[in-house]
Amino acid sequence: MAAFLSLVIDIVSSTLVLALVSLGLGVVFGLVRVINMGHGAMLALGAYLTWAFSGAGVPFALAVVAATAGVAVVGLIFEALIIRHFYEQPFETLLISWGFYLVVTELIKIVWGSTLKNIRNPIPGTFSLGPAGIGRYEAMVCLVTILLLVAMGLMLYRTNVGVRVRAMIQNREMALMLGVNAPRMYRGVFVAGAAMAGLAGGLIAPMFSIEPDMGTLWLVRAFFVVTVGGLGAIVGGTLVGSALIGGATSIFALVSPQVFAQTVVFALAVVALRFRPVGILGRR
Amino acid sequence: MTTSSTGIDRRSLLKASLFGAGAITAPSLLSACSPKSSGGGGGGSSSGPIRVGVISPLSGAWTVYGKAHSAGFQLAVDEINAAGGSLGRKWELVVTDSKTEPQVVTEQANRLVREEQVDFLAGTFSSAERNAAAPVATQADKLLLYPTFYEGQSQKFYPGVCNPNVFMFGPEPSEQVWPHMEYIMKKHGGKFFMIGSDYVWPRETNRLTKEKLKELGGSTVGEVYIPFNTPQYGSVLSQIRRSGADVIFLSLTGSDTVNFRRQLAAAGMKKDFVVWTVDDEEAATSGIGPDATEGDYVSFDYFWSIKTPNNETFRKKVQEKYPKVIMNTVGVAMYNAAHMTAKAIEKAGEVSTDAVRSALEDMTFDGAPQGSLTMRAEDHQAVLPSYLVQAQPNWTSPDNMFKVVHSVESVQPQAAQCDKLPLSKA
Repeated sequence: MAAFLSLVIDIVSSTLVLALVSLGLGVVFGLVRVINMGHGAMLALGAYLTWAFSGAGVPFALAVVAATAGVAVVGLIFEALIIRHFYEQPFETLLISWGFYLVVTELIKIVWGSTLKNIRNPIPGTFSLGPAGIGRYEAMVCLVTILLLVAMGLMLYRTNVGVRVRAMIQNREMALMLGVNAPRMYRGVFVAGAAMAGLAGGLIAPMFSIEPDMGTLWLVRAFFVVTVGGLGAIVGGTLVGSALIGGATSIFALVSPQVFAQTVVFALAVVALRFRPVGILGRR
Repeated sequence: MTTSSTGIDRRSLLKASLFGAGAITAPSLLSACSPKSSGGGGGGSSSGPIRVGVISPLSGAWTVYGKAHSAGFQLAVDEINAAGGSLGRKWELVVTDSKTEPQVVTEQANRLVREEQVDFLAGTFSSAERNAAAPVATQADKLLLYPTFYEGQSQKFYPGVCNPNVFMFGPEPSEQVWPHMEYIMKKHGGKFFMIGSDYVWPRETNRLTKEKLKELGGSTVGEVYIPFNTPQYGSVLSQIRRSGADVIFLSLTGSDTVNFRRQLAAAGMKKDFVVWTVDDEEAATSGIGPDATEGDYVSFDYFWSIKTPNNETFRKKVQEKYPKVIMNTVGVAMYNAAHMTAKAIEKAGEVSTDAVRSALEDMTFDGAPQGSLTMRAEDHQAVLPSYLVQAQPNWTSPDNMFKVVHSVESVQPQAAQCDKLPLSKA
């Protein structure tokens, strides 16, 4: 029973952390069709800004908020200067955002150096749930992720903005004809995606190695999450994709070596795409 | 009806992510071919400077260990040159970046030997890098001075090891791990859970550790190998929880060890398990931070904080010349390698590979920061001290990071498992 409970906790937390990291990518790709290769650099920037602010004595929660805002501003500048001229051109945006990744990563190295950084765990200790347990900080990150997903769902399905956004996903031309302000909406979505990357980077910083290339660790996984989960199905798709890529590793690791568990999960993802090319929750 | 008026579908996104994965490694391959510089007077000639090719991990996954690596060698060479060089000839370094990639190492080693015409090679970091450079050294009949703690020599990994052209200045498991096992077992128990990166060094280190563990009456309750660049460790942590282990014996490297240990601490598991790492020297431990390392054990032949007269002098020199570099076992091994080779050249009276090799064999160096070091003739393995340290609460820098809890002044490593010993008569 204890083993089962700790497995469940592990699956849930792995899934939610991966969902947190992938959400910004899913939003930008699902809503404005930009394959944002810069997502990894935005994660790293969020982590570094959080590290820099909390090193300067700012309380951790505030540091994360400031880092989120900082990355959002960087995203806004990037969008206003470059990306907005290239919407609807997937290959160009892919190359440009990859360039953005390289530039930001090098800037991080220039400003903060390439030695590893770390942030002291702001909420040490564990919650014990009967015989199993979970780190308090990790639990907090999971909670924030759930809140973020719920807020996202509410925004998409319960607000006017959400109606317009969904209209755009379903039929872009019609939505534009009906008066959706496309440039503003595109900008809003791109900046929101950047902010989510910044938030994710800041929140995971106390649990991970902070280094300039930290985004590469996540980028391929996050892409799999978004494609397997289903494009445009932002809340559900991200969750399902994360469960398959993150959570399933835990299940396979029970009966097989880690190397195999990690490989078989990606193989499964490819098989899933073979039979559901639009992603598990995607709609054609 | 389509969800996308721009024509992207999942196939193109998949291609895009693959493209991205490829592009991550592509730039480093391009820049590996840097333009050659002038030939110089090396290559076995008996006049002009002595040229040394240094291969260091200056970028890539192991950069964190790389600064000490090249700085240690440079420091020794500056001392050698300040004292007039060897046989009246100054040393000249050609430092190249391994990018932490074996194929780059092969290219660089070839370039150093053919174009730069170096007299010998020093460096490479990981076992895979050494295994890439050693065949080049063998073919060109140059020596390779290898600094890193590694898995020991066994014939199946020839020519990376068991090679008369390669000298090992770092410790292998019978020096780094075995001397401290009884201490750990007595204090914390004999049930070990082993977790390492998925390549030859962790696997061989664990094989030898398990061998000794069995002999001492302990047991292995889990053994897990992790692919490089794994961010999440939730499933491994629950495996460890279930295993009933006393000690987590850790040989993860690079950012993986940082991610694992930070998550181990965040999961609140540090109070239930003792961590003993054979990878996380001062630089990696700095990356992990005080809260996630407190109380954990590390073992090596050298630590910045050991109290020996030699180390006191050495520390002053490092602080003066490289105040920003975090010095570690690998940097010190590079330092020792340069000094011992300089002594060997003086003793041999020439710079030829054969002469320097026989002069290095059986050489003892009393100026090593960790104490005394002898290069064993038969298998080119350094006889070294061994230290077990514990990370201190709330450490702020390598100065107060570790405290020695157990040490052995000089360890004779187990004999290399090579077909023919001594190596140089083979």
